[in-house]
Amino acid sequence: MSGLPEPSVAQIVSPRRLAARNALRRGWGRPLALAFLTAVFWVGCFGLFARALEWFHTIGDFGPLLTHRLLVLLFVTFFAVLLLSNTITALTTFYLADDVNLLLAAPIEPRVLHHARFLETLVSSSWMILLFGLPIFLAYGIVERGGPAFYAGTIVALLPFLVIPAAIGTIVATLLVLVFPAQRARDGLLLLIGLSAGAAFVLVRLARPERLADPSGLAGFASFLVGFGGEPSPWLPTTWITGTMLPLLGAREGDPRFSLGLLWTTAAALFLLSAALVERTYLRAWTSAQEGGRSSGRGASLLDRIERAGSFLPRVPRLLLAKDLSIFLRDASQWSQLVLIGALVVIYVYNFTALPIAENTPLGIVLRDVATFCNLGLAAFVVTSVAVRFVYPTISLEGRSWWILRTAPVPLGRLWWSKFWIGFGPLIVLGEVLVVLTNHLLGVSPLATAVFAATLVPLVAAIVSMGLGFGASYPRLDTQNAAQIATGFGAIVYMVSALGLVALVVLLEAWPISRLLGFGRGAPATASARAGFALLAFAAALAPCAWAFVSSRRRGIRALERLGS
Amino acid sequence: MISIRGLRKDFGAMAAVDGLSLEIERGCVFGFLGRNGAGKTTTIRMMMGLTEPSAGTVLLGGHDVRTEAEAAKAITGYLPDHPYLYDKLTGAEMLGFVGGLYGIPKAECRLRAASLLEEFALSERANELTETYSHGMKQRLALAAALIHRPTILVLDEPMVGLDPQGAHDFRRLLARLAADGITVFLSTHSLAVAEELSTRIGVLDRGRLIALGTLAELRQQAAAAAARPASTGGPATLEELFLELVGAAEGQW
Repeated sequence: MSGLPEPSVAQIVSPRRLAARNALRRGWGRPLALAFLTAVFWVGCFGLFARALEWFHTIGDFGPLLTHRLLVLLFVTFFAVLLLSNTITALTTFYLADDVNLLLAAPIEPRVLHHARFLETLVSSSWMILLFGLPIFLAYGIVERGGPAFYAGTIVALLPFLVIPAAIGTIVATLLVLVFPAQRARDGLLLLIGLSAGAAFVLVRLARPERLADPSGLAGFASFLVGFGGEPSPWLPTTWITGTMLPLLGAREGDPRFSLGLLWTTAAALFLLSAALVERTYLRAWTSAQEGGRSSGRGASLLDRIERAGSFLPRVPRLLLAKDLSIFLRDASQWSQLVLIGALVVIYVYNFTALPIAENTPLGIVLRDVATFCNLGLAAFVVTSVAVRFVYPTISLEGRSWWILRTAPVPLGRLWWSKFWIGFGPLIVLGEVLVVLTNHLLGVSPLATAVFAATLVPLVAAIVSMGLGFGASYPRLDTQNAAQIATGFGAIVYMVSALGLVALVVLLEAWPISRLLGFGRGAPATASARAGFALLAFAAALAPCAWAFVSSRRRGIRALERLGS
Repeated sequence: MISIRGLRKDFGAMAAVDGLSLEIERGCVFGFLGRNGAGKTTTIRMMMGLTEPSAGTVLLGGHDVRTEAEAAKAITGYLPDHPYLYDKLTGAEMLGFVGGLYGIPKAECRLRAASLLEEFALSERANELTETYSHGMKQRLALAAALIHRPTILVLDEPMVGLDPQGAHDFRRLLARLAADGITVFLSTHSLAVAEELSTRIGVLDRGRLIALGTLAELRQQAAAAAARPASTGGPATLEELFLELVGAAEGQW
């Protein structure tokens, strides 16, 4: 050895720290906006859980049991999410990250490399859980009147609770890479997550949680919570952490030190096991991960086939559609998002079938009007959510390959239109299907449905235009991960702006639509009056949508001109 | 064929390119030399419409890159210093896509792509995703993409990086053939041997300014004049020595 001191864990993770500091130096606008949004979320989350816990206190003997089981339910959910997210993050940080080559070439012991990457995996996977969890734990502490020992105990118990899935994730990732190529393992896991999450959404919805609002449904929810998981297994970290926190709250008998001891010793043992495994197999696993980067030429003519299928389109949109769709279909991480959208649509339509509108009571009629009125906004909300995930990132996804399009003899305006049609086509179909199908389920008059369907055209066009405009204004050319792009600052600003437009359109249409619905229930009106109100509703929506469309397009093209320069 | 007039690019207070003017005739291989950070890539990006100039104009084949961008780009092929490709497209698809952007009919594009893939020794891997390609293979594929529309101007930014000796040799032969066919090549390179072998004219950029321009013999005369000695009395023998003398790197500056 040269006699130089070996790099420490802190030195290896310093690029992340320095990058964060440099980002802060660029300006406080984004961090402050994000902090504000986080604060709003925390307050909302705290309020919701505090109310639920207070309500548990009002229902007698069941209360403490529900308090206990809700905490178990939360930790089981957290633990499942942490296991999956740590495994995927470990695959990336240990075996797919660009800087691993640099670290492997440096005089760094595998043990130190493990510790540094483990820390990155732990932080990257756990911050979201902390974000969700802290207001909940605070609600428990305040409502259950936990003393300082509860807060200190929670912090001391949370650390090993987070380390355990990180260690398991690292071990699983390493074993997977030793057997399968890293990219395939990650894609498979992402698809599995998508399917699980989609199934969970649908199952939760089909369980009809709205019955909770109905006092007669309360017993069902209570019995669900009481029966949740039966007697918790003594082998699970979720049992140990609740076994630490509940006695500190005085909600259950027991000595928290035993559970805490189990958490810490298990975390330490798994951490050491993870370090030993990585230390012994890292180079072999890394090499295997690199070899796994090769993929066969299956689907070689996919681009051609898509292009042929889209032969009715003009040249540039057809080419871009073929390219974007080929890339999309070959990226397994995208499929999980499609599964989630499918689940979202199923739930959306199911919601309308579950409404008690069949009853011809005054309540049923009011509920139907409200549901009809909200339908446009809700469908547009679904379209916006999908647009954030699929339209907003399209500019960023061109990434460092942007030069190919930029140096081709294609005007930026035509590129923009091509991207627009690629986004608008599927989204308008989605929006129209949602509105027409659910209006049919609600028994809305054809004229009102036609107004909604017509309104969606400029509204979805504006949403797509805004997605491209914001996507070009806040480009992320450094990543090919669409999910990461869709959760950035620009995506949040886009989501808020698009939802603002949706709210404005719904507001502007409120009066004419309410009149149309009134006619539908038999209020006297001539055909010309009906047509007049329908036109008025459409015109009211058209103006802000046209403005949003044009200004976003202008801004988007200006941003495209600057992109990558 | 290429006309650059008063081209300037400012990044804040720093002028990356400072009043560059050049005229490059048809069929010329123009070697564009300079140290790291001299402004070569910025110049090329402005030529290709990837970066907005602060001032000045670039005409490619008589078309202004800013006002007649499509016409200028239609006759130009470009190879960037880091040719990032679409990872999830195969080599053949990549060429088909780029050919489509230039409006080449499908059947014709397929023929040209097959020929280029053969020429660049990529046929065997043509149906594999480009994410599996080595750096050199990506470089060759990007060059094939730059040639698929048979441009009359070729702008190359550090094209030799990542090529193996055989690839570099083949590339030099290709450039010579293209120049003989009348294609104008704007070649930014650190490889002085390549510039010396292929370039009919050479420009040297330093701190954004063109400090020397001409044939190799003219540059020797310029250097000799600057050093106040007769060109025939033992001036720099190679382009490397000449380059170092011109940019002052002999003093050990990076």
